[in-house]
Amino acid sequence: MARYLAWRLAALLPVLALVLVIVFTLSRLIPGDPATTLLGPGATSAQIAALRAQLHLDEAPLLQFTAYLGGLAQGDLGRSLKSGAPVLEEILLRLPATLELSLLALLLALLAGIPIGVWSAVRANSGFDHAVRVVSLAGVSMPAFLFALLLQLVFGVWLGWLPVSGRASPFFLTEPVTGFAILDALLEGDGEAALDAFLHLLLPTTVLAAFLAATLGRFVRNAMLEVLGDDFVRTARAKGLREGAVVFRHALRNALLPALTIVGLKFAEMLGGAVLTETVFAWPGIGRYMFDAIRNRDYPVIQGTTLVFALIFLLTALLVDLLSAWLDPRLRRGMR
Amino acid sequence: MVLSRRMATALMLGTALAGRGALAQSDRQARTLVVAVSSDPVGLEPAANRAEPVGSEIILNIFDTLVAWTPPAFKALEGRLATSWSISPDGRDFTFVLRPNVTFHDGTKLDAEAVKFSLERTRELNSYMKASFGLIREITVLGPLELRISLSEPMPVFLSLLAQPQAGIVSPAAVRKLGDGFGAAPVGTGPFRFRSRAADTNIVLDANTEYFRGAPKLQRILYRVIPDASTRRLELENGGVDICQQNGQLTSLPVEDIKAFRANPAIEVIEVSSQIIRQLEFNNNNPDSPVHDIRVRRAIAHAIDYDGLINGVLGGTAERVYGPLTSNSWAFEPAMREMAPNYDPARARALLAEAGHAPGSLSFKLYSFQGSLWGSVATFIQANLAAIGIKATVEQTEFPALRALHVAGRFDIALDGRQPWYNDPDAHITIGYLSSLANTAMSFRMPPDAELDALILKAQTTVDFEQRRALYQQVQRELAARVPAAYLFSNKIIVFKRANVKGLVVNSAPPLSEYWSVWKEAR
Repeated sequence: MARYLAWRLAALLPVLALVLVIVFTLSRLIPGDPATTLLGPGATSAQIAALRAQLHLDEAPLLQFTAYLGGLAQGDLGRSLKSGAPVLEEILLRLPATLELSLLALLLALLAGIPIGVWSAVRANSGFDHAVRVVSLAGVSMPAFLFALLLQLVFGVWLGWLPVSGRASPFFLTEPVTGFAILDALLEGDGEAALDAFLHLLLPTTVLAAFLAATLGRFVRNAMLEVLGDDFVRTARAKGLREGAVVFRHALRNALLPALTIVGLKFAEMLGGAVLTETVFAWPGIGRYMFDAIRNRDYPVIQGTTLVFALIFLLTALLVDLLSAWLDPRLRRGMR
Repeated sequence: MVLSRRMATALMLGTALAGRGALAQSDRQARTLVVAVSSDPVGLEPAANRAEPVGSEIILNIFDTLVAWTPPAFKALEGRLATSWSISPDGRDFTFVLRPNVTFHDGTKLDAEAVKFSLERTRELNSYMKASFGLIREITVLGPLELRISLSEPMPVFLSLLAQPQAGIVSPAAVRKLGDGFGAAPVGTGPFRFRSRAADTNIVLDANTEYFRGAPKLQRILYRVIPDASTRRLELENGGVDICQQNGQLTSLPVEDIKAFRANPAIEVIEVSSQIIRQLEFNNNNPDSPVHDIRVRRAIAHAIDYDGLINGVLGGTAERVYGPLTSNSWAFEPAMREMAPNYDPARARALLAEAGHAPGSLSFKLYSFQGSLWGSVATFIQANLAAIGIKATVEQTEFPALRALHVAGRFDIALDGRQPWYNDPDAHITIGYLSSLANTAMSFRMPPDAELDALILKAQTTVDFEQRRALYQQVQRELAARVPAAYLFSNKIIVFKRANVKGLVVNSAPPLSEYWSVWKEAR
């Protein structure tokens, strides 16, 4: 098992290297130059040339790339062309916000998606099943920004129950310790601020979770229907097991295996969705940071954030494989 | 069902608790001004500021400058840290007397040494100011509160530059103590002192109760970073922010939103004339382009329905502009109103025929910035051009990509804009039309023109105010004869604020607000 894990982790390196080469090339192929963008419309060519030299953008791309790799080997992701701050520091500052949002969204999607899927399968073709089908279709097909705007309007403006945007009420100025808003507020012993941070999380989490929950619900329903028709389920019922035990202990366990793969893949997709959700909800995460960087042609930030996203994606895939093995003894044999 | 009831209970409980919290907060909120900005400031350091709007505005609330523009007309300078000043007859030496008993936020005293230190620091570190502050030959401290700035050549615009955020006076003691970290904890003499900054979230300033013009009425300013325009609108309507500034950007809020705000009694819309110019630019530097022919340029300029564009597409949020300077500039040539091409499609068609272009024979790519409003402007012009037999395809391009095309000269016609970063005709004319700068991003692309260049440089360096005005008026007439662009409109600076926010003074060029005089009435 340990050997398998070491091998899988080592296999990440070439993938990350490839990602880096692609991102480095692509970001330099998009038309437009960071110095021009940074200086805005008021700059003369002399000002632009001076800044290009200052940012080493006048050097050959290969030289820039090797310099970047050299820094990377020492854990240095370079400095943002826009702010001049170290990219790693800037990413670490924003990572907790993205993790907080996406992990909670994952939890919410699991809590909503799995029971709904199970219930729809058990009560297949009932009114509930049909209703869920319509709602999940809406959940999958509605663009995130539209759903976000709808929630902001209903819960933020009309009902006034929840804040429209932001990560905390601006009037609570808690000192970041861990970077996780709720945790920081609790560490300060400020229950009011913790609740405030929690309320701020609800809308963006819902938007981010909706897509995953809907996909997962549909998937679990179909998987459950298939499993419930299997011979071993009939045997379990024939043995006289209660329906609850049949559904949860026997059928669900088998249906969850393929669902796990879907969750892994969709979680990565959800991180992509975080870019938009973070922008709409003014959420200070790395998705938004990356989006701004692309607009500003801030090469080191584009590279750094892509690297982090790629790493999260790959680690999620690894985690899913490990969890599958834990759930399914047949898979474990291949890992030795 | 049980689940949903539980959820509803939890939600209601949460709301009730939040409501209680809100009561406790209300006192704090009443004296806190929340300002929505679209992005994180690039920096809060005068010596690194490159006229980026968010950072510039915050800098002007933390730091003071020697002089500042006098509201509401913003046509004359008044003293801030300087009580008086004089300029030598040759326009090279500026002598300032400083206000006594002014202290920085760190408790140190403002003196002539601090001013010398700050301006020299900007000259050394800020590449953006190289062309202007590079002309500072020497700064001489004449006494504790008196200094002289000597330039290597006359530069009448220099005084105006001293009102800019780059010329903010910093605390030398704090710079020495913090070094590179000064930008993260800036110390000035301004009405507000820096408190904290959270990346992509907010910037918090607290009132400087010792401020020399009197303590601000507000206790705190909170800049909230909200990148999405519709979210900014919802937050303003909801009272989550007090002020939302358009900052002269077309993309900030759609015209429909502005109309909705005008109908909302809780929100006031302030509209102020700006010095921003938006134009349809011609690449007159490419001999192979049809627009190299002045008749084609004239025809296009006559094809555009300027009033229709301003009232229809822009919903009255812009004003007519007649030439290279806006009509609120002190150097504006009144004759430009008559000289500017009017909407006359028949004349446009005749000019095209004269230039030898049959209807339908000309086609262009019309480059434009992104955003729905830029798109509408481009579509409107596309229709205008179609009416005189020119086929145009609209290409909306990201800012960096459009700039790259522009610098390389790979376009015939493009929508573009100029936002002067300091209050002087020089900001539009020199950078825009000096043909020696024609291959830079900022300039109109015109062929070499020694006569015009000489006139522009003379206007830039003439010390006498009236002579200078006459020279700029001549420049405008000369440019009208050359048709470097079809000047479309000048969009107003639009600030949306909650109705209970009082005392706001909106600066027109550059559009940066100071919040010293602002207060909030109890709602």
